[in-house]
Amino acid sequence: MAYNDHAATAHDHDAHDHKPHGWRRWVYATNHKDIGTMYLVFAGISFFIGGSMAMLIRLELFKPGMQFLDPMFFNTMTTMHALEMIFGAVMPAWTGLANWMIPMQVGAPDMALPRLNNFSFWILPFAFILLLSTLFVPGGGPAGGWTMYPPLMLQGGASFPMTIFAIHMMGISSILGAINVVVTIMNLRAPGMTLLRMPLFVWTWLITAYLLIAVMPVLAGAVTMLLTDHFFGTSFFTAAGGGDPVMFQHIFWFFGHPEVYILILPAFGVVSEIIPTFSRKPLFGYEAMVYATASIAFLSFIVWAHHMFTVGMPLAGQLFFMLSTMLIAIPTGVKVFNWTATMYRGSLSFEPPMLFALSFLFLFTIGGLSGLMLAIVPADYQYQDTYFVVAHFHYVLVPGAVFAIMGAIYYWLPKWTGNMYDMTLAKWHFWLSTIFVNVLFFPQHFLGLAGMPRRIPDYAVQFTDWNMVSSIGGFAFGLSQFLFPYIIWKCVHGGVRVGNRAWEGAHGLEWELPSPPPFHSWTEPPSDALIQRGAAH
Amino acid sequence: MAGNGTSVAPDSGQRQRGVRRTALLLGSIAAIFYVGFIAMMIWRATR
Repeated sequence: MAYNDHAATAHDHDAHDHKPHGWRRWVYATNHKDIGTMYLVFAGISFFIGGSMAMLIRLELFKPGMQFLDPMFFNTMTTMHALEMIFGAVMPAWTGLANWMIPMQVGAPDMALPRLNNFSFWILPFAFILLLSTLFVPGGGPAGGWTMYPPLMLQGGASFPMTIFAIHMMGISSILGAINVVVTIMNLRAPGMTLLRMPLFVWTWLITAYLLIAVMPVLAGAVTMLLTDHFFGTSFFTAAGGGDPVMFQHIFWFFGHPEVYILILPAFGVVSEIIPTFSRKPLFGYEAMVYATASIAFLSFIVWAHHMFTVGMPLAGQLFFMLSTMLIAIPTGVKVFNWTATMYRGSLSFEPPMLFALSFLFLFTIGGLSGLMLAIVPADYQYQDTYFVVAHFHYVLVPGAVFAIMGAIYYWLPKWTGNMYDMTLAKWHFWLSTIFVNVLFFPQHFLGLAGMPRRIPDYAVQFTDWNMVSSIGGFAFGLSQFLFPYIIWKCVHGGVRVGNRAWEGAHGLEWELPSPPPFHSWTEPPSDALIQRGAAH
Repeated sequence: MAGNGTSVAPDSGQRQRGVRRTALLLGSIAAIFYVGFIAMMIWRATR
């Protein structure tokens, strides 16, 4: 359904683009598109590294008993898988998409701070090399879980300080990236691009960036306290010295819960771009979507202790955190309602981005509903630390965040490359992913409800059948992901040419630029007429 | 065009000042959070 409806506009500056060539183009990159590409490639590599760790976990859990992995290595795999996927795959993928799209969507020539942008990216490979190198130090990699709870984490070997330093580097990278996003949106919007004309992806990223600036320092503080407890004789979290390990959990989750929204808010933005395009209707309730996003961000700061109900807290605390958590269902419900209302009586078509957005809509909602179940204090006593929790957050993060990232890439890839990708293969990728993500994670609800604990390499025999099903789903899901880089590679190297507006229902400034966009886009700000045409909500 | 939702066309000097101002503000907030939180903890530990 790609078609060339617009001749190249006056913004085609290809003729006088002066791109650096060779390795210098990437090492010294300051162009937002190049840096965006590097973030996305980095995220893709991390996705496959983290995914291979998940495969090892599912391999071990295929049958009861110890099969392939040493228990310590199993715990290392669960820890590293989480860190790789959260900090190495999902967050850099969103930053890559922000780099590519925000300047084009707000009519800016580049990110506001291009050299800082380069620095933010190049911290990441070093952070992850450091983290992955812990696998080869005496004692192995970190095995205390991504939550790094003391006293378990304090018992780590040589990997411990390396992990802390890697987390500091990731945090600094995220903060610098977030500052760049806010500064760009606040200062480089084209004249006429008022805040309430901005695309939802820009809005959700703006709010995400504020969340990042607010909570990444908290993580840094928490892990630094762990470090000083381990090496400098402090007792923040050591009960023997008068410290309190539960305090770490409070501080960690004060970061950790907003972090969940850092991973998912940009997904809301992407879905809010895709659904109107393939429904050929403006987004229903644009302003309500903005306010709902801001409400979710605010609420994310006052719900952290729902991760700690079983640790013990006063009844008033339990009630507060239970009810505030449930409140999140309201703005989230507004969003789900608005996406559904956008599709109502729309002229729908089901290209890969729309398929991923619809899958997101159904499956993220399942994750949201199991989240509501977990918010209920007495029920949480039953579910805590079981596979039900694993099923819940994987529904939120895989068919939630990861599918939205894939949908976003399928949506904007024709814009980036000027070529349409292999639609048949992309639909295969979608169906295999959607079917097997459910085979992988849905049985984990049953396992959790039946009492199977998480973070164990062995289990009682009554859990065997669903674990086998889950593992088969995992292997099939993992294998089907190899289609994705192949489809992208093929698209980059050729395909049916697309026009400026690769999708007929697409609105927004990025679709006014040629496909692929010139190396330097919007060197002249877009006209008010273009902005108004783009802001069709 | 500062962060007030208005949309007047800025000249490049004005825009650069805006970028610098917002970047410094956010950078300072992040740095104060980042360093301050760690420093506060270390100070508390040494009391």
